[in-house]
Amino acid sequence: MNDAQTLAVEVAAIEQVTPLIKHFTLTSADGGALPAFSGGSHIIVVMRGALRMHRNPYSLLSSPHQLDAYEIGVRRMEESRGGSHFMHDQVRVGSRLEIAHPVNLFGLDKIARKHVLIAGGIGITPFLAQLEDLHDGTVPYELHYSVRSPEHAAFLNRLREREDDKVRMYYDSETQAVDFDGLLSNQPLGTHVYVCGPAGLINRVITTAKSCGWPDSHVHWEQFSAPPVGDAFDVFLARAKLTVHVPPDQSLLESIEAAGVEVPYLCRGGVCGFCQTRVLELDGELLHNDHFLSDADKARGKNIMPCVSRARCKNLVLDL
Amino acid sequence: MLITGIKSKPVYAPLRADVGGRYHLMLGIGPGGIALLRVLAEMRESAPQAIANARLLFVPEAADATDTVEQFKQIGLGSMSLFDDGASLLDTFRTVLAESFMGTRLYVAGPESFIGLAMKIALEFDLNKDEIRAEEIGTLARRVYCVHCRTATEEVRTNIVRCTGCARWLLVRDHYSRRLAAYMGVMVDAEAPGELPPLKEIYL
Repeated sequence: MNDAQTLAVEVAAIEQVTPLIKHFTLTSADGGALPAFSGGSHIIVVMRGALRMHRNPYSLLSSPHQLDAYEIGVRRMEESRGGSHFMHDQVRVGSRLEIAHPVNLFGLDKIARKHVLIAGGIGITPFLAQLEDLHDGTVPYELHYSVRSPEHAAFLNRLREREDDKVRMYYDSETQAVDFDGLLSNQPLGTHVYVCGPAGLINRVITTAKSCGWPDSHVHWEQFSAPPVGDAFDVFLARAKLTVHVPPDQSLLESIEAAGVEVPYLCRGGVCGFCQTRVLELDGELLHNDHFLSDADKARGKNIMPCVSRARCKNLVLDL
Repeated sequence: MLITGIKSKPVYAPLRADVGGRYHLMLGIGPGGIALLRVLAEMRESAPQAIANARLLFVPEAADATDTVEQFKQIGLGSMSLFDDGASLLDTFRTVLAESFMGTRLYVAGPESFIGLAMKIALEFDLNKDEIRAEEIGTLARRVYCVHCRTATEEVRTNIVRCTGCARWLLVRDHYSRRLAAYMGVMVDAEAPGELPPLKEIYL
């Protein structure tokens, strides 16, 4: 993906839906229909700030059957590197943004006999789009949605419009919590579980599913990591014959792009594996932050995902 | 026409216990019992509690089957059901799957035609590769699906076979369909009617 392939959109509406989440409606700048997508897809929003550029992934929450607009939910991150603050503070109705075409890394399994959806906080967004396909009732499903307190329950009105018995809410403020073991112990064969939300929730579901004997192929999760802040380091790009400085609050991918070298990417959140890059030389250690490489691959240190991972090193040479 | 060397021909491996599963569903025919006993012995070593969560559906076949059944009885299985033939076993298998939970691992030991039919049912319940293990034991006789009249001819041991549906002579290929649980049979003398290759017993 590169900027030449982006779509120009205009912000048609903004709604503050919880103290932390804003709901944006985006329409095509030329007024036409937007590209088709399937539930679970995300887009990359390109934000051209005064000082720097941000490219953040956001799940599409609108119906895949309505292509006159895309809708996304943006949570204001406390430790933002700028992207979510840009969306919250700079973007107005009428603002122009660029987005990359939708990509789905979190689709529903097409032959599943049942779907169990588990959302935490802003992790509800991909499920909202998927529910549009599920509400026809051919495949049973249940949604478990946990949030801090009722005021933080984004998009609840959309869920309430559906059959209530399929949606269960959990409020931390009322010390309600999902009984993961109970939930995953007695699901019929052919059930798939999907989880989106904070790392703790995702790990809890993955661990519990494993202890209940679920095979990996039935457990799906998505979490876009924000590139973590770290120490500055330098990287040499072997093919471009270029040394690039990576400052503390900029990702390796962003720094390489700022130097004019393009790296193919899809999610920019350590999930898809598209930006995987070969490490040619390393004197130091790689700080892997992605969910794509296996632990063994991370230990081997021959590849890095520049979207979220960094290095602590004297010398790093990449095959770019 | 390509007869062998076709990638869809299933490859089997000796059964191993998968103690990552919570429930263990075992299907076996005749000598397949030996492979299942091996899995249970492995479980007794690594995760003895798994045996109480194991359910066996078995067709005793050979003369020494009494001995196999006796060993199954002594091992402390969660439950065991015996059947007269594969078809009645598979009927029960379907109802068992309908009431089974995620966390179930399936072990199948027997002739390939039986494995194929069991897999076909498992597929209806969206069991994936990481939930199923199968070991081929017993006859290599094939189920052959006539691509012309869509009839499956059972227990084919020969390189060519007369279709039980349309009486065409079919060439038995290695092309296997998981959905149909059968090898594809294609009319062998379509180009030169009556010219048949010598009949040979090769799937014994």
